[in-house]
Amino acid sequence: MGSYALEVHDLVKTYQSRTGIVRAVNGMSFNVATGSIFGLLGPNGAGKTTLLRMLTTLTQPTSGTARLLGFDVVKRPLEVRRRIASVIQETAVDLLLSVRDNLLTFARFHTLDGVTARERADEVMERFQITGEADRKVQDLSGGYRRRVQVAKTFMVRTPVLFLDEFSTGMDPILKRSVMTQLREEARAGRTIVLTTQILSEAEELCDDILIINKGRQVARGDLNALKLLSQGVYEVSITFDHMPEGIEAELATLPTLRTHKENSTLEVALKAPEGEVFQAVAALARDRRVLRLEVNGASLEDIFIELTQNEVPA
Amino acid sequence: MSPIGAMLYREAKIRATNLIFIFWDVINPLAYMLVFGVGVNAAMGSPFASGEVDYNAFFLASVLAMASFGIASNTSWSFFLDRDNGIFFEMLTYPLSRSAYMLGKVIFTVLVSVVQTALTLILAATLFRIRLQPALIPLVFLAMIVGTAGWFFFYSIFALRTRRNDIFNTVTSILYFVFLFASSLFYPLEPLPKWFQTAALVNPITWQIDLMRYATIGIGSARTVVIESIAFLVFGLASFIYAARCLQKQE
Repeated sequence: MGSYALEVHDLVKTYQSRTGIVRAVNGMSFNVATGSIFGLLGPNGAGKTTLLRMLTTLTQPTSGTARLLGFDVVKRPLEVRRRIASVIQETAVDLLLSVRDNLLTFARFHTLDGVTARERADEVMERFQITGEADRKVQDLSGGYRRRVQVAKTFMVRTPVLFLDEFSTGMDPILKRSVMTQLREEARAGRTIVLTTQILSEAEELCDDILIINKGRQVARGDLNALKLLSQGVYEVSITFDHMPEGIEAELATLPTLRTHKENSTLEVALKAPEGEVFQAVAALARDRRVLRLEVNGASLEDIFIELTQNEVPA
Repeated sequence: MSPIGAMLYREAKIRATNLIFIFWDVINPLAYMLVFGVGVNAAMGSPFASGEVDYNAFFLASVLAMASFGIASNTSWSFFLDRDNGIFFEMLTYPLSRSAYMLGKVIFTVLVSVVQTALTLILAATLFRIRLQPALIPLVFLAMIVGTAGWFFFYSIFALRTRRNDIFNTVTSILYFVFLFASSLFYPLEPLPKWFQTAALVNPITWQIDLMRYATIGIGSARTVVIESIAFLVFGLASFIYAARCLQKQE
């Protein structure tokens, strides 16, 4: 076992569909460093969940290998499962059990004794602000609370690797922030976290290492700065006018925009062009108009993501 | 705690903290015996039919079979629920094998049926004064254990293969109706039309009931019971093999 918690080599998963063979994951290779937060990003149907299901032993790969802490996910699935906790995409909770019993039952599967499990359950419920619901059946709770219970379970155990598939779905912003802080603490303590998300700001804030995938293939890989280098020449421009100018759409149509967004009197545009041209464009947009605020930034992860997945730039 | 122990812990928690399960597992079959059995017994008079026994004695094996069938059906419903809400798939990433998952479920189901058998037999002997055959009581328990496991595997196939809740509920309701009524559960087969008799004779619940009726009150021929027991074993084994295959295919 090296310094990698996860070693994936040429992993492939194919499905037989009505129209033929679908390659959901098409030859992915990557390593995940121990104690890092690794983000898997991709549009719907990119293969993120299929990849995660293979890594968590839920689905067998068609070919290729994946090793978790040195254990092959196909040949030694039980050894792998002893070392992971996972949150799958569905809100998977025991509906007929109370919040507390959900946590205690999960702990039993991970061989925690009764006293430790109860102590830890109290602590975890406090952290996830669900102590007040401890004795309520999960089926009586809202979707957001169910998701809390599901994520809270993974904090009951100290498995070295944690898999989270769209973990923040249904969480309110305050709880999401709190969970993100806890995840960073877990990673600092040496736990490896592999997550998928479509909320790019979440990945931008949380992940040490990002893999962007599309149509089952890896499109780009690296930390945020490395990914930004891949997308040089993309600028985000935000202009707040005293009021939104009429006919601005026609002007925008002549610019090399990746995306535009208008809200009240603020215009946000992502432009792909050399720096000089971007400033010329900004000057043209501002000409003869009253500008209250103007901001030009480098590309955000969202811009990089859109550019890479739309253009399918190979890694 | 071992994986199977953890499964038993989970099943016990679910069953013990939900009144609906206690009702369907325990109270419903006993209520049949206490209400339906007593009512029909009074209406029919005694002795009843060809067995020279009253309806309560005749119905005892039926109540046990109904309990076995019902308990297995309830577990498979919770199995379907597990799959429907995704916890089943998350559990497959816990440190337990798929066979441990299935084994935990079936052991728990069988344990509930054993408790129900003991309760039913005690009630039958004390309240209805049914003369049981002490030497054959272990056979009653064995028939319940094998029967409940067999029905659980049979129902698991539907729990694993059905995608939609409404379809699962419809299928299980139809199965409940067909299996219970096209059998020797409520009535002896002799006075029934030929087509009804044929349907009942190929019904596995008839095989289980005939064995238990023989073991509880001595009605039936030993030869027929042996043949039917073998047939039920084959049915249970085939259900197990197919259910295990369906489980392995779950992704």
